[in-house]
Amino acid sequence: MAVLELSPQERRIQENHERAAAQEKERRPLRLLHRFAGTRPRIDIERGRYFTESFKMTEGEPLILRWAKALYHYAECATVYIDDDQLIVGRAGKEGRYGILYPELDGDVLDEAIRNLPSRESSPFDISDADAEIIVKEIAPYWKGKTFHEALVQALPDKTRQLTYNEDEEHTSRYIVNETASFRSSIQWVHDYEKPLKNGFKGIRAEAEEALSGLDEFSAVDALEKRPFLEAVILTADAIILWAHRHGKAAQEKAEQEKNPVRKAELLEISRICYKVPENPAETFYEAVQSQWFIQLFSRIEQKTGTVISNGRMDQYLYPYYKADKEKGQLDDERASELLECVWVSMAQYIDLYLSKTGGSFNEGYAHWEAVTVGGQTKEGEDATNELTYIFLRSKREFPLNYPDLAARIHARSPRRYLYEVVETIKDGSGFPKLINDEEVIPLLLAKGAAFEEAYDYAVSGCSEVRMPNRDTYTSPCAYINFAAALEMTLYNGKMQKYGEEEIGLSTGDAENFQTFDEFLKAYLKQQKNFMKHAFIQQHEIIRLRSQHFAAPLGSSLHELCMKQCKDIHEPHIEGGIDLGYFEFIGYATVIDSLAAIKKVVYEDKRLTMARLKEALEHNFEGYEIERQILKHAPAYGNNDSYADEIGRLLDRELLEFTKQYSKELGVHLDLRYVPFTSNVPFGKVVSATPNGRKAYTPLSDGSSASQGADHNGPAAILLSNFATKNYNFRNRAARLLNVKLSPQCVKGEAGTEKLVSYIETWRDLKLWHIQFNIINQETLLDAQKHPENYGDLLVRVAGYSAYFCELSKDLQDDIIARTAHVAI
Amino acid sequence: MKGLIFNIQPYSLHDGPGIRTIVFLKGCPLRCRWCSNPESQLKTPQVYLDCTKCIRESGCNLCDQSCPAGALHDGILEHSLCDHCGKCAGVCPSQALSVYGKWMEAEKVIDLIEKDSVFYAHGKGGLTLSGGEPFAQAEFALELLKEAKKRRIHTAVETCGSCSREVLREAAGYLDYILYDVKCMDPEKHETFTGLRNTEILSNLEMLFCEYEGVHKHIRTPVIPGFNDTEEEIRSIRSFLDGRPNCTYELLPYHRFGERKYELLGRRLPDLPKELDTELFERLKANEIPG
Repeated sequence: MAVLELSPQERRIQENHERAAAQEKERRPLRLLHRFAGTRPRIDIERGRYFTESFKMTEGEPLILRWAKALYHYAECATVYIDDDQLIVGRAGKEGRYGILYPELDGDVLDEAIRNLPSRESSPFDISDADAEIIVKEIAPYWKGKTFHEALVQALPDKTRQLTYNEDEEHTSRYIVNETASFRSSIQWVHDYEKPLKNGFKGIRAEAEEALSGLDEFSAVDALEKRPFLEAVILTADAIILWAHRHGKAAQEKAEQEKNPVRKAELLEISRICYKVPENPAETFYEAVQSQWFIQLFSRIEQKTGTVISNGRMDQYLYPYYKADKEKGQLDDERASELLECVWVSMAQYIDLYLSKTGGSFNEGYAHWEAVTVGGQTKEGEDATNELTYIFLRSKREFPLNYPDLAARIHARSPRRYLYEVVETIKDGSGFPKLINDEEVIPLLLAKGAAFEEAYDYAVSGCSEVRMPNRDTYTSPCAYINFAAALEMTLYNGKMQKYGEEEIGLSTGDAENFQTFDEFLKAYLKQQKNFMKHAFIQQHEIIRLRSQHFAAPLGSSLHELCMKQCKDIHEPHIEGGIDLGYFEFIGYATVIDSLAAIKKVVYEDKRLTMARLKEALEHNFEGYEIERQILKHAPAYGNNDSYADEIGRLLDRELLEFTKQYSKELGVHLDLRYVPFTSNVPFGKVVSATPNGRKAYTPLSDGSSASQGADHNGPAAILLSNFATKNYNFRNRAARLLNVKLSPQCVKGEAGTEKLVSYIETWRDLKLWHIQFNIINQETLLDAQKHPENYGDLLVRVAGYSAYFCELSKDLQDDIIARTAHVAI
Repeated sequence: MKGLIFNIQPYSLHDGPGIRTIVFLKGCPLRCRWCSNPESQLKTPQVYLDCTKCIRESGCNLCDQSCPAGALHDGILEHSLCDHCGKCAGVCPSQALSVYGKWMEAEKVIDLIEKDSVFYAHGKGGLTLSGGEPFAQAEFALELLKEAKKRRIHTAVETCGSCSREVLREAAGYLDYILYDVKCMDPEKHETFTGLRNTEILSNLEMLFCEYEGVHKHIRTPVIPGFNDTEEEIRSIRSFLDGRPNCTYELLPYHRFGERKYELLGRRLPDLPKELDTELFERLKANEIPG
């Protein structure tokens, strides 16, 4: 038996903790990390509490001003922490891992959720009894009847609501045409951090003051819209400055008590910096890093952005500070890494708490991905790689923590060293970085109306999406559509096994009467289109309602267009903005493979009748193994087989045509995306057995990846199938998430590195949007399931992020194991 | 023109430069005792049965009536009666019964190869013909190479060298890269272990060195315990190669991956060599000629 080739991550886990302990003594961020690693997160109620207190006092005022006042109240009252040994300060909760409350979002289900939270399977949290009581008695009652979720439920027409929610008290998701707007107040977002680093909030405040003095006193719009906006910006600037100063004061007080002269000096330096930034422009690398973290964290306190507010192009906007400090001899690379890693551990302690079951199941493993973007091109279209880029990559290899996510932009002139270091980092095996392709993204952004300099300067945000921080204006969370359910409805004439006789989809006729595959396909496409109709109805109402429920004075103050027009970023229309929204295809390969199987087995080869197929499905293949095997061996997506891929391209095109026609009237780009987070698991739980041989209620395929285990033609084929199913003549396409699992053996050594570089170059040439890798042995995953106690540190790539394997639900673990591992390439 | 192919493997990283697609042609004149691709030896399609995929336990008996030669009973394939018509594979739901070898048009094969061409751009990837011995289907192999060249696809071949001089000479004109096996220098010993003497192999190689100086030759020796796993054997091959232009030399470690395939084909497992001593192998590798 040959010895298993291990990834560096696997080797570390095997060699285990002795060496880690030795390193820990030397490396500050490791000491910080080990204080909280593996502990269960706790809920901190301060944010929820102070927001609620403030909102009670400001009823009737303009929403944006109420938000600013709530932020100010928080800044005044919240506990500030100066952690031992830390160089970067700022946390929004108690020591250890913490999640915070956004009752404006889920106040209607808050009390119920709090009761269930410690015991839920995916991403559980702890809470003290006293805090739970405050939530149930003080916080939750205020928000009942006021949340966006409740307003949306009421606003939706009956048929749309039927596809969206269950008829229970909490209106939980049906996972068919799923809205994601009520478990987060915005989709993934990224700020223009350069602006506050350069000007400080003093500068932003001054800008608002000036605009305020220029308002027309006779204008109703100026009085009712612009004035409150500008006052909110000023108050928010005051809030973040106050909050930073309170950290400065706390550090000063701690310094006075400190006996150790080294730490004392550190605390005094922290104090000095907190009094300086983010109020004033940053002047050193240390100040810039601290300022960025204050802004980012305060933004998290402001609102719950999907997947957490992203970090943007850190290797670009921090570079001038790094360069200047290095030239002056004030900074070396070790120190730069240490400061960044001190931020990483701060990010890792903030956990994105999803209270609703739906939110939790979308983001398993305490997922949040405040993506750091590296590489890519400058605004001028030059290669953007610099020395700091390599520090980020090195930090991911040497300090493998799952936060923040790291996204590497790849383009046709990416330097060799960059490509090789990216691959070396991927080979470490913890899933970083994910890759985003400039050659696909930039032309698309241009086609959607961006200028060259904006498109070149995009930042990755969220799972696999991109943003142009001063040009994008769309923040409405969008629909995740379970098209495998549409397929099921085609088989059962609008019904689903799970919901019995309920007529939930369209009556497209008895499938047994379809004489040709085309008839079946037409019926499916009707169901698909019906889902689209309801998804867009949802979206119409979401867009309409959001600005009545959410405001973001901080986020808006960092956006040029919002500042210019004095409009909150949640407003449905902002002049000059590009509204980049999306809708999501969940179960792509499941649907393609099912249609291909029906075409081949039922209509072409006639090996099974439709009646027999349905019988097998209704019995979940129990006693129908022959049928299942025949179906499983039909052509499948992911094998560069045009039989299946042609079907995939048709489905894609139908959806693109729909959105081309109907998203205009909503005034936004709703583009087709294939990015599931972890939702392919809960979406699978409502879909019975499918004609591709998938058993009932098991996960659907993820993103644009092949069905679990159906890709048997090697890792090249999945790229080609992806390419072959895209409709490049439509600009209405967006991210496609692609998971590839390789065994460490097949990327072994320098030759393995070289071949993986070639593979990535091919991916780039094919203009695919995203790719990410798990370099891991199947044996390791199986053993980790059996002995979680030995694998607390094991990171795996899930969707657009990495998570600790042992913190995922059993279903999702199984799903990751079931992804085909390419051993021989 | 049609040829018999038993596998097309995209994204291969180990048989020639860059990322390549390998086309495996059926048929081989040698019968190496250690052969790890027994399904490649005959120039005819062969039915096989993989019992691990068979779902008879779930009540399947679809193959029972399918065999006109009466070679299939109760899920057991009587290989000696099988005439390899493949009807059983047509009804088997789980592909437990399947056929090694499929007749394909040369142009169709190259169409498939061309579909992968985006992978070939980085690191001089392309098509590799392998086998069996690809020149056992000489005309077909030539047709593939010509068609590939016409479409500007980088070409390589993996040959044992035991083939017609004229075919090899013509093929070399369409080849960018040649992977060539030299197993041992002694003709008698070669015959004992592979069924044929190596005279033709070595003189064919001489011809390539003389007439096709510009084409890169990558010579490989599979190191087989009990056959050529000694310093002396390897050194004698090495000295034959020393000073040759445009030539690299690599040793391949013997593995027993082919064992199961004998079983699938219903063949008695031959007396395969023992596992290779990895330390010894590392020592022998000192004789390699790197590129």
